[in-house]
Amino acid sequence: MHRSSRFLLAGLLAAACVEDVNAPGQCPDYCPGGQITVIDTILRTVIAGDSAFRGYVTPAEAASLLVADLPGIIDSRGIFYTVAQQARIAYSISDTSTGGIIAVDSAYLKLLIVRRDTAAHNLTLRLYRLPFTLDSSTTFGAVAPFFTDSLLRTVNVDSLIATANKKDTVTGDSVRVDSISRRIDVIIRLDSAQARYVAADTGRLGFGLRVSADSLASIAIGAKEAQANVDPQLIRFVRLDSTGLVNGVKRTLTARTAQFDSYVFAPAAPALDSTLAVGGIPTARSFLRVALPAAIRDSSQIIRATLLLVPATAAQGTPIDSFFVIAHGVDADFGGKSPIAVDSARKGSAVVRIGQTDTVRIDLTRLVRIWSFDSTAVTGVMLRVVPVTGLVGEGSTLAEIRFQPSGHTTLRPALHVTYVRRFPFGVP
Amino acid sequence: MTRIRRLVPFFALAVGPVAAQDSQFGITSLGTPGRWESVRARATGGAFGPFDALSPLAEAALLDLQRLTASAAEATSYRSAELGGQTDALRTSRFPVMSIAGPLGRRVVVSGGFTTYLDRSYTATIRDSMTLRGSMEPFTDVITADGAVADLRLAAAYRVHPRIAIGAAVHLLEGSTRSTARRTFDDSTSYLTAFERQAVRFDGFGISASLAADVTRRVRVTGWLRSDSRLRATVNDLETDRSDLPSGLGGGVRWAPSSNARVAGVVAWRGWSVAGADAYDTFTWSVGGELGRQDFPIRFGARGGQMPFGPGGAAPTETGFAIGTGKGFSEGRGRLDLTVERLQRKGGGLTENVWTVLVGLTVQP
Repeated sequence: MHRSSRFLLAGLLAAACVEDVNAPGQCPDYCPGGQITVIDTILRTVIAGDSAFRGYVTPAEAASLLVADLPGIIDSRGIFYTVAQQARIAYSISDTSTGGIIAVDSAYLKLLIVRRDTAAHNLTLRLYRLPFTLDSSTTFGAVAPFFTDSLLRTVNVDSLIATANKKDTVTGDSVRVDSISRRIDVIIRLDSAQARYVAADTGRLGFGLRVSADSLASIAIGAKEAQANVDPQLIRFVRLDSTGLVNGVKRTLTARTAQFDSYVFAPAAPALDSTLAVGGIPTARSFLRVALPAAIRDSSQIIRATLLLVPATAAQGTPIDSFFVIAHGVDADFGGKSPIAVDSARKGSAVVRIGQTDTVRIDLTRLVRIWSFDSTAVTGVMLRVVPVTGLVGEGSTLAEIRFQPSGHTTLRPALHVTYVRRFPFGVP
Repeated sequence: MTRIRRLVPFFALAVGPVAAQDSQFGITSLGTPGRWESVRARATGGAFGPFDALSPLAEAALLDLQRLTASAAEATSYRSAELGGQTDALRTSRFPVMSIAGPLGRRVVVSGGFTTYLDRSYTATIRDSMTLRGSMEPFTDVITADGAVADLRLAAAYRVHPRIAIGAAVHLLEGSTRSTARRTFDDSTSYLTAFERQAVRFDGFGISASLAADVTRRVRVTGWLRSDSRLRATVNDLETDRSDLPSGLGGGVRWAPSSNARVAGVVAWRGWSVAGADAYDTFTWSVGGELGRQDFPIRFGARGGQMPFGPGGAAPTETGFAIGTGKGFSEGRGRLDLTVERLQRKGGGLTENVWTVLVGLTVQP
């Protein structure tokens, strides 16, 4: 090819990609004929096949020990026992010889309050001796006698917080307050009898906890199920037998965490009925099936979707128990055993306050959009409750809310969707 | 065969968007009609269009070609659109025309190529608001189309008399646009962006015929007729629209008082009003000339008339002038043409001013 032709070709190709055809539309005269059409509608009959199920998280499986004393509402008490303690302890890391525990001088029991009502004054913990035969079947009534005759210590948390060094020099109790997380480490000093070592019991100790305050006595204490090193810990200061030493050798034992922790309460959670219960203990979940209309599923783009749930009764719980109702998509429809989707794209949540009777609105835009794109997606929603503060696992709140079911003619669950219709391409 | 191989770069060059400069006036309708003119003819305001063998307008002019010839053009437009006190600067680059032609014997010349029939490239940005869930929600719509309807032409001319030539062509109208629509709400937290993309295909059919007669040795008259069927739009193989396309006719006269001077005048009418609402029949005219030697002439011209689409109950008007030149090289086997065109369009409150620079390359291998 001639040289000038090559130059021209190069010039043409370089210029061919230049383009700026953007112009503000002056409608309707200078706008494209097709318009983007937005529809906003409440789908009142698309939710059906809804049911409530209870038993997902029991108190023994909860991430928090819920302790409360709210007359007329609930009386909840923490129970736990520590892991076993070997009877013989190495004298030191470098000395493999061991000595038997001959006496306990004292101990510290550390409890972490992960949630409390700051409006509660004179917040007081009471520590009771319980047998270490506790398990998940332990009932409120079974341990009630120990809460009347086995009081070990009483600790006024607010008084400790008010002291200069956050420590009671007389009792040895102290607190540490995290100003950011508002968590409070309560360190209770126990004497030799309170922290006794009984070899026949392999050193395990059982405890019960109650709380009181001028009002609003409700706290959450970290449990081992949180898997965050927040469960109760017992640190004993002991003496080991040693040849030639009458009083033995003083040693500090490794902290004993909770082998088992749970809480018992009364009255028991009310039985499920036709409403859609969520929360409570053992926790309840509700499953809703959504039949998205084909016209929306196939021919539109969802730009906003909100699940509307009308409470059947006011949200129940202690005043600090504001909670999230989380609506999860599910991977398969197995009713109450449907595996929930945990990725953030397929869930939405709304905050509910105790006593709330307003409609709960949960944004499910991304979930519904996935439904509209993926015809194989299971169009079901599982509702569950987690607390707003503290350890946010399911079962860490006593709160419960019940929503009107699809059987209700006027207040049934609904889906408020805003969608864009398919654009009329190809029409001038 | 060697000649054909030499033309391969032209076809490679032609792969890409096929369109002419577009216009805001075409957004609401079928598009902006292209110009069936080579770079040389554009420099004369279109007056040389029916007399130019490489302009895909009047087939009879093909008989002026003595040998295999290929031509392509590139056009870059700088456009300002003023509406409601707001002016926007726009720019496009296109390959508006490509053709190849050659004689088959002494009396017949055939040609193939394409040009822009309708340009459908635009991006419209619309700010508005609407009430959603009890509150006013501002949003921005961006609606785009990128593509054109091309006129694929197969033409032939036949000399029936030493002074009279006739020609005919079939036109396959084919094209597509890549179209998108996006709505973005200012409150992007509450409302997701809606976005949709589709390819819209277009097809249609047309025929044309023309006649050229050398009345004297220096005067040629020509006339042409064309009828196009309809333009069908399909999305995912489903027809979404069908619009009638116009018939048209035109004629012109060219006078060459000397070997170094040629002037021409052309008028044309096209019945675009059949295409739907806000479509109008158009009458256009152009005059122009070419002075100087064939291998390095000066060209000039002016044009005027109506545009087929626009709001307001009346056809927008278009006026313009052009100037250009050309330069032969390789012992006349190639020619570069350069044209600068200025257009002004008015109608419905909108004024468009367009500067277009066109570069054409013609090769006779």
